[in-house]
Amino acid sequence: MLLSNNEGKEFLLMGNQAIARGALEAGVSVAAGYPGTPSSEIIENLASVAPDADLYVEWSVNEKVSLEVAAAGSFAGLRSLCVMKQNGVNVASDFLLHLVLSGTRGGMVLIPCDDPGAISSVNEGESRYFARLMEIPLLEPGDFQEAKDMTKWAFELSEELGNVVMLRSVTRLSHASGNVKLGALNRTKPTAEFNFSGNLLDAKTGPVITAPVPFRHTQQQAKLKKAAALFETSPFNRYEGPEKPELLIITSSACYLYSREALRVLDAEKRAGILKLGTTWPLPPELLKKHLAAAEKVLIVEEVLPFLEENIKIFAMDSIDSIGKIKFFGKNDGTLPSVNEMNPDHVIKAISSILSIPYTGMPEEYEKSGQILSFTKSPNRELTFCPGCPHRASYWSINRALTLNGENGFVCGDIGCYTMAILPAGFGTIKTAHSMGSGTGVASGFGKLKSFGMKQPVVSVCGDSTFFHAGMPALVNAVHNNSDMLLVILDNSGTAMTGFQPHPGIPSGAAGNELPGLDIENICRSIGAKTFTADPFNIAATEKKVLDIIENETGARVLIMKQPCALSPEKKGKKKYNVSVDSSICKGTDCGCNRLCTRVFRCPGLVWDNAAGKAVIDEIICAGCGVCADICPSGAIKRSEVVL
Amino acid sequence: MIDPFNIIITGVGGQGNVLAARMLGNTLAKAGYYVTIGETFGASQRGGSVMSHLRISKESAWSPQIPKGKAHLIIALEPVESLRVLAAYGNREVKIVSNTRPIYPVGVICGDLAYPSLPDLNSAVAQLCDDARFINATEEAVALGHPILSNVIMVGAAAGLGLLPIDDEAFKSVISENVPESKIEINMKAYRKGKEMAGDPVKF
Amino acid sequence: MQVKGSKEIRAGVLDSGLCTGCGACVSLCPYYATHKGKTVMHFSCTRDEGRCHAHCPRAEVNLDRISTQIFGEEYSAEPFGSYISIYAARAGDKAGLGSFQTAGTVSALMKFSMEKGYIDSAVLTKNDKGFGVPVIIDDPSGIEKASGSRYSVSPTVKGVNEAIISGRRKIGAVSTPCQTLAVAQLRGNPLKQENFTDPIAFSIGLFCTWALTASDFTALLKSMGDISTIRRLDIPPPPASVMEIETGNKSYIIPLDDIRKLIPEACSYCHDMTAEFADISVGVYEGKTKQNIAIIRTEKGRKIFEEAVTAGYLVTEKIPEEAIAPLAAASMNKKKRGLAKLAEADLINSEAGHTVIRLEKSTLDSIFKGGASCC
Repeated sequence: MLLSNNEGKEFLLMGNQAIARGALEAGVSVAAGYPGTPSSEIIENLASVAPDADLYVEWSVNEKVSLEVAAAGSFAGLRSLCVMKQNGVNVASDFLLHLVLSGTRGGMVLIPCDDPGAISSVNEGESRYFARLMEIPLLEPGDFQEAKDMTKWAFELSEELGNVVMLRSVTRLSHASGNVKLGALNRTKPTAEFNFSGNLLDAKTGPVITAPVPFRHTQQQAKLKKAAALFETSPFNRYEGPEKPELLIITSSACYLYSREALRVLDAEKRAGILKLGTTWPLPPELLKKHLAAAEKVLIVEEVLPFLEENIKIFAMDSIDSIGKIKFFGKNDGTLPSVNEMNPDHVIKAISSILSIPYTGMPEEYEKSGQILSFTKSPNRELTFCPGCPHRASYWSINRALTLNGENGFVCGDIGCYTMAILPAGFGTIKTAHSMGSGTGVASGFGKLKSFGMKQPVVSVCGDSTFFHAGMPALVNAVHNNSDMLLVILDNSGTAMTGFQPHPGIPSGAAGNELPGLDIENICRSIGAKTFTADPFNIAATEKKVLDIIENETGARVLIMKQPCALSPEKKGKKKYNVSVDSSICKGTDCGCNRLCTRVFRCPGLVWDNAAGKAVIDEIICAGCGVCADICPSGAIKRSEVVL
Repeated sequence: MIDPFNIIITGVGGQGNVLAARMLGNTLAKAGYYVTIGETFGASQRGGSVMSHLRISKESAWSPQIPKGKAHLIIALEPVESLRVLAAYGNREVKIVSNTRPIYPVGVICGDLAYPSLPDLNSAVAQLCDDARFINATEEAVALGHPILSNVIMVGAAAGLGLLPIDDEAFKSVISENVPESKIEINMKAYRKGKEMAGDPVKF
Repeated sequence: MQVKGSKEIRAGVLDSGLCTGCGACVSLCPYYATHKGKTVMHFSCTRDEGRCHAHCPRAEVNLDRISTQIFGEEYSAEPFGSYISIYAARAGDKAGLGSFQTAGTVSALMKFSMEKGYIDSAVLTKNDKGFGVPVIIDDPSGIEKASGSRYSVSPTVKGVNEAIISGRRKIGAVSTPCQTLAVAQLRGNPLKQENFTDPIAFSIGLFCTWALTASDFTALLKSMGDISTIRRLDIPPPPASVMEIETGNKSYIIPLDDIRKLIPEACSYCHDMTAEFADISVGVYEGKTKQNIAIIRTEKGRKIFEEAVTAGYLVTEKIPEEAIAPLAAASMNKKKRGLAKLAEADLINSEAGHTVIRLEKSTLDSIFKGGASCC
């Protein structure tokens, strides 16, 4: 479908798919990114057609480099795309700050996909502010058709202005699906050439630099003004509703759909109007003035922080003579929450209160009854590691080694599936968790606090993908500064949490193409860290090794725990062992066991049969890793190698 | 048909919620409807509850989240999720069709939490909804040859309720686009079986 | 006797500085472990009742009940506890032992009882890189290798637990007072398990004034040189106030005051110097390096002791009053000090939360009032 012409045909597409199609319709040549939910499918979709589409697609080592890679494509005259989740923009922001000064050539679009409500994140940061801060245009599709159409247009806009355009999506668009009519697919094969011999000050033909800064900055601001003028007539800014609405709703992104829904539910479509903005920075001044002048009450509906709200309020203040005084409703006055994701019910509540329309979404009694029944009868689903996950075994050993050592040692966590060790799934082993690579950076700091009397052993965990992303500089820091800490690299051969994408340690690329894989062990040794390896599935040996390294070695040390992810192609669906429980030996709740396997180890393949008072293996769920056989204090869990 | 018609497909991460939603969504899109499917992936892969919100409309596209209390049909691939969804999006008039095969949360598996018996769950659901049907979709799928067919059976059951303009031919063409030719017939068999089972749910 | 579980052990013993590292809770289940002399807990156990609590010498120890179990009488307020007789003893020629640190009474008794079949295996303590670790010996020839005084805490009862789990049922254990107390508790089947038989055939207790925190002591030793070559470790009798250490090529002297700093807080709560619940208790005879004092407490102990003497494994002498008196005084002092410290912390007969000792109040009163007395 992605590469089929099919112009005019309608398909049910996921937002990310629509964006990918839009990029292809625009003739994108280079696409780079770093895996991050909810953005990853954009690159994955493009990668799936790359071989047939004269398209270069790359999973870069981190977001900063992905933006640099995409920029190179643009400098060489190609249309290029860079994709990341919200906090990826933070990582890329240093380069972005300079890129927007130097300007771009081939159309370049930066697509951050935000995750309001942190459904798959450990933050609900905002990428929109970066557009304003970096003084580049910000586009926000309001539905799935726009996701495609605006992406295509973004490249044209970028070329017209000579700068990066940010197109921002959210989980509720990226991962949702809707009807999309495809456009024409005209794939040409442009030639890449980097032109730099022109005049130093010529952005199109000279070297791509940011100096002289005030000169470039002036040019940059002029581009923004040009964009604002173009936005006045953009079809992506639309008004629907009465000419003189009692309430004007200004909204963007998925919130447009929530606002429409709210008006329909409250039967208020004749009383309120919706100004949907697809271009949210810079604001189109005349369009805004026209609609603000026609309203006395304005509700601004957007995700998380009051970005749009504050920009509009500033504009309204500046234009107060022509539009008059306005009563604004939004986040700053508490009408809408500034934490967690937006949904139709928040918008309904806001409008119902502003327009005094009574509304009961769910009768109070029903709601109460539902809550009690749900609480008492539907058991909570805690997150856990998959059956056969090496992290469960790794944390088992790390946790036990630190306990044996008895000096209140701790683990600084990082980002990946293994972050779940803040939960019982990983025995609560992780004690700090922030951003990519930060665990090792923080540990590097902790490892220098001995002179202040700190006696606790310092450990950090980092995945293989995270290591390349941001862990390496932190390790360099630890080694060079003689920090006393142990970095445990949980190498499961892939970027698992986001869908098992490859990374520089894996000998393949985004499109499944063969590429050289870098060896983590060699890198660590070259950096100068005392480097050890272990197989986490051998829990006795691994525990001993961790304890030994903590107690008998000093300085910056690395222990690589190497065992592929249970969902990796080489492992998925294949059992190494057949595992079973001998119920005649199983001690269950007795003193001497107290259900260690089911209650503490907690692999979903180990089931507690309350009626029988014994543990049982669920053969369908069990991945056959065999580790639980070594956990059992009575030797009741048996494993036998599967003979092929 | 109520417009927009609001469907929630719910289950546990990894069950095939997304595929089932696409199956159903594509079938209705082929019939000329505006379809919006709202989903959350990511962490829910690791054993958490998942929901897909489907909006079906002749008029226009609607939001990927259904307002509280406004579901018209709940398709539960996992039984206890039907109760969870009811509590947030249910009402007395909503119709439920649910599989009977439990997927135990880790808390239940490890013996910390209790999982309700099916009659127990049914009476809880009955307190919130007047028409809930439990069908042994997984059992039937295994009998047909593969547990993964249970999702197709569930979509069939939803079709069997007659609330939606689900065209069997449209469904077949969706299946044909997603499975190898040799598997089309067994999938259609499962779909038809599901339709049958909706009329003959588990009796309590 | 109130048996509780691991939550109470963690809060009342491990986190309260009362744990002596005896190892009574280790190897019974996956939740306890010992490392470099320290007992730690992995994860958590949710059982209300467990053997850890039942056997722990610092949790709900009913001295009257144990005394009745072993001696048929309630706990004695006497300095040495209940006993039958007291002798000076040393290993005899027939024991076939080489040179040893003190008088070799314990090694001789162990060897004799194993050769005569009173026991099938012995749980002793040996040196492992400066730390005491339990060892199970099934052959008399192995007994000597695990001899020698130990000054640091070691989890010997872990070895007893492992011996029992492996199916051994005629076990001879050599243990310090806290370890002996744990062993005595386990012998009483506190959890009333069905088909229980007492696996301990012979219990020898060692006098103990105090022990040293294993890791601190090892660190101290390490700072002196290569501790793998330590050949002798000894505290000579007064007037000396030093510890003498002999390595392969050097001799060291450490002032006892420096050593005392390494005594764990847990030891200060101990009221038992002479291992009151053993069959026979053996310790230093002050002023006589080549003799031990042996306190015979039970009929079984008496039988084995007398046979060992007859067989030439032991050589004994009567002890004059003047020699017993200092031991009685030291023992009584420790008893009073330990019980006073426990009482001050509301750990005797306490109804609120954790208690260490349960004991008839009248016995407790007479201990506090009484002076040192002898046999």
